[in-house]
Amino acid sequence: MDLTYSPGWTTSVREVVIGATSSEGGSRRISYKIGGENDLPFIGNSGHKPLIAFEICDDPTIWPEVVRSACRDLINNPADWAHHADQELNADLIRLNLTSTKKRNFSNYKGIGNTIKQVLASTSLPLIIEGSNDQDIDSEVFQQCGEAGQNERLVLGTAEAARYRSVAAAAIAYGHIIIAQSPIDVNLAKQLNILLREAGLPDDRIIIDPYTGALGYGFEYTYSTMERIRFSALKGDLDLAMPMISSPADSLTVKEVREATFTDETAIAWEVATSVAAALAGAVILVVRHPGTVPILKDAIDQLKHGRGGI
Amino acid sequence: MVNINDAISTGNKKIEDETRRIALLSIYPGTAYYLPITYAISGLQVKDAASALNSYEKTGKSPLIGSEILVASRRSEEDPPYTGFIEDSVIRKLGYSLVDGSILGLALIVGKPDKSDHASAICRELQEKLMLTFLAGEVIESLVKDGIKVGLELRLVPLGRSSLMAVHFADILARVAMMFGGVTPGDAQRLVAYASERAKAFVIAFPGMSDQEIAFINALRILGIPVLHMGGYEGDAFIKTDSDAIVRTGMEMRGIKVQVTAIPIPMACSPAFEGKAIRKEEMYIEFGGTRSPAFELLTKSDPKDVENGRVKVIGPEVDMIPQGSAAPLGIIIEVAGTLMKKEYEPVLERRIHNFINYGEGSWHSAQRDLIWVRISKEAVSDGLKIEHLGKLLISKFSMDFPALIDAIQVTLITDPEKIMPVLERARSIYQERDERIAGMKDDDVDLYYSCTLCQTFAPNHVCVITPEHTALCGALTWLDGKTAYEMSPSGANQPIGRGATINANTGEFEGVNRFVRQASHGEIERCALYSIIDAPMTCCGCFEAVAMILPEANGIMIVNREYKGDTPSGMTFSTLAGTIGGGAQTPGFIGISKGYILSERFIQAEGGISRVVWMPSILKEEFGSALIERIEKAGLSGLYEKIADEKITTDIGELLVYLESVNHPALSMTSLI
Repeated sequence: MDLTYSPGWTTSVREVVIGATSSEGGSRRISYKIGGENDLPFIGNSGHKPLIAFEICDDPTIWPEVVRSACRDLINNPADWAHHADQELNADLIRLNLTSTKKRNFSNYKGIGNTIKQVLASTSLPLIIEGSNDQDIDSEVFQQCGEAGQNERLVLGTAEAARYRSVAAAAIAYGHIIIAQSPIDVNLAKQLNILLREAGLPDDRIIIDPYTGALGYGFEYTYSTMERIRFSALKGDLDLAMPMISSPADSLTVKEVREATFTDETAIAWEVATSVAAALAGAVILVVRHPGTVPILKDAIDQLKHGRGGI
Repeated sequence: MVNINDAISTGNKKIEDETRRIALLSIYPGTAYYLPITYAISGLQVKDAASALNSYEKTGKSPLIGSEILVASRRSEEDPPYTGFIEDSVIRKLGYSLVDGSILGLALIVGKPDKSDHASAICRELQEKLMLTFLAGEVIESLVKDGIKVGLELRLVPLGRSSLMAVHFADILARVAMMFGGVTPGDAQRLVAYASERAKAFVIAFPGMSDQEIAFINALRILGIPVLHMGGYEGDAFIKTDSDAIVRTGMEMRGIKVQVTAIPIPMACSPAFEGKAIRKEEMYIEFGGTRSPAFELLTKSDPKDVENGRVKVIGPEVDMIPQGSAAPLGIIIEVAGTLMKKEYEPVLERRIHNFINYGEGSWHSAQRDLIWVRISKEAVSDGLKIEHLGKLLISKFSMDFPALIDAIQVTLITDPEKIMPVLERARSIYQERDERIAGMKDDDVDLYYSCTLCQTFAPNHVCVITPEHTALCGALTWLDGKTAYEMSPSGANQPIGRGATINANTGEFEGVNRFVRQASHGEIERCALYSIIDAPMTCCGCFEAVAMILPEANGIMIVNREYKGDTPSGMTFSTLAGTIGGGAQTPGFIGISKGYILSERFIQAEGGISRVVWMPSILKEEFGSALIERIEKAGLSGLYEKIADEKITTDIGELLVYLESVNHPALSMTSLI
């Protein structure tokens, strides 16, 4: 029996360029064009292979223990850590999480500007920067991020409905991309994108983060929200036609991982499983923290994309 | 006293003469925008005196461009503290702060103050209100003499010695528009639109400007920038205000609002206290609730009659009223705002209820002239006064409706004599409002409103709200939808252009179909507003009542949420609700607001109210005379008694017998199926 597949999509996901090479005014060795899908993930011409971002931070005290022990000394030097992720782990992107800004009474704004510059010097991959999440310091922090990465077309995170102005301002003023995060809710995702447009940010500078719950801890909500965002986009809702990023960071703090006998294996399994599921739902950037996750996830994505046997 | 119009014509002439005579012109360092004003307006890249003159002529001798050329040709290097021309990299930072909201707006101060203390007070106020202020002319010297520190980091930017250096204020605006506003060089229209709608700037002019300077400052008005002064100028072009009010006036004219976060009253205030009642034993004093006259009234007023933040108490304060007594209370709120409309009055007035309940020691119930307000003993012992209720209302209204409200003042009347005439006036306003809403028909408007608030749990549900068809939760009327949209243009209530009529009887319109299709993510193709059978509206889960057809009776039954018992359909409300909710379209069933039952449009497609064969007695009683009136108006006298309730039967067989016995009109209507 022949089955015909004619879903009647009308729109493609918008393309977003991240990172800038020297010919684009920056200093990255590569820039990525993400988005552009005109069908569901892994069907037909459904876009590029999902990218894997390895996440590092500038203050490891609040980083998951399992990652700290796996990364050893690297955790104390973001530049070395980034270099390692680039050269040894072969990640596609680096995400620098400015965890130092999440501590009480943070005020070392110049310090984070320097960290960003050092990381930019130690790796030539495009960079995602995760800034503060406190309205009182956002303005200063994102000013620093924006300025330190001028011309590099960074991805800056995270804009939320209640606090998006500073992130948006940094993206507008210094030409970056932003991550717009909503709490697993398609309508709030849409509303935030509209707010960002009203603030003056062009639509091709937004990446949606629908928020990723850990597998077994709400991921099914994330999955169905991602599906709905993609359906809406393909059916013509331009406010939702942006590529998606998924960061299953919660996976490393679930009880099953914390209390596991084989912590590393469990952590990796949890990150890989959540990330693959997110890719199936349409995420094109997968952010992971455990170094062991990267090669396995890469292989899994390749198999999904090229259909080489089972996973 | 300088006559502005005279000064402008001499000034423009002078700008022209001098511009024609310039010989040398060097470009500014650190900018990619040449002469920014000229570049933004004309798209011309001025690099020397000849190209400068050319652009001046080409733009019809714009005084903005002429002045920019003159300032550039003078090449006067400014010594500290003067900044002169400011480079692009600094402007990028300024622009960041504007988008980010850490700078609320821009002010320019020019001229020479008679008394320096005026200027310092104004600058301090501007600093406090998060404005970025540019200074040009003798005002700077006068401030410095007065001990005021100036500098970019202090948000007081001293551009230069002469008022004409205000050109740099305009070149910053032009660059911000090109860098952040997407204004292409040469697109003067976009520039004007950006400057007038987004840049939020105003000018304060002290006396002592030359004609040339006046002509330039006046030309800023083209960019939608108002010029305010406190005297020394004569003519309509500049707006005269008092020195105390000048900053406030400027900010109000540009719609710049300072966000107040802490409410300055001796009582905690949060939605957390909303559900907390004040019992008689805890009460210090009460108002209304049949013990004394009380009312609330919110009206739109002329901006000149509203002093933002003012609270006035007419009559005794709380400390002059004996504990445990009932006092009269008139809450009169006057709001002014360019976007405020008369139609919004009742919607905003309804919020008084929430806001007073936010107070830990204040409680509010009911509405209009039926209000009942209490203040607790604890709050009074902490120092709470009646006046503070006014402050609470002002803060909450300003915070929650920043787009609508530019200024708000509250009058609280506790004097038993003085309240009466105002109460009478309030009553006549309530009556006018009722007539206005009651009289509104679906055909009177072209725009309906959507509500997709419930999509969080009913993903494809789209409520369509019309004047005669309130949201199915009963909480949002068409006016509320309209207000909600204006207050939050990207929110859950969006305008729906009705479009061409497909079927007037079933209430099917092209525009509504198009909207519903899109908003339901392609799930729902058609939506007939006045039908229960043919493509009825979807249901979320919030409906006040369910209407469903009873094919055996050739009619419909209605059951409301409060009724827990059985119905002739064999299903209770909760079973029915579970069956039809979740955003689905279920022909034969609709979720409705109770108010819709009284609407003339109520299931118009199937014959309206005459189809109703059963509803619970509590619902019948709740409607009472309103339902009888509706029935009489439809020419169906006697129908009220013919509608069965659970006291008559909840059995479909017995219902049919009853309907036959009373000769219910539904039985002889065309077949529903």
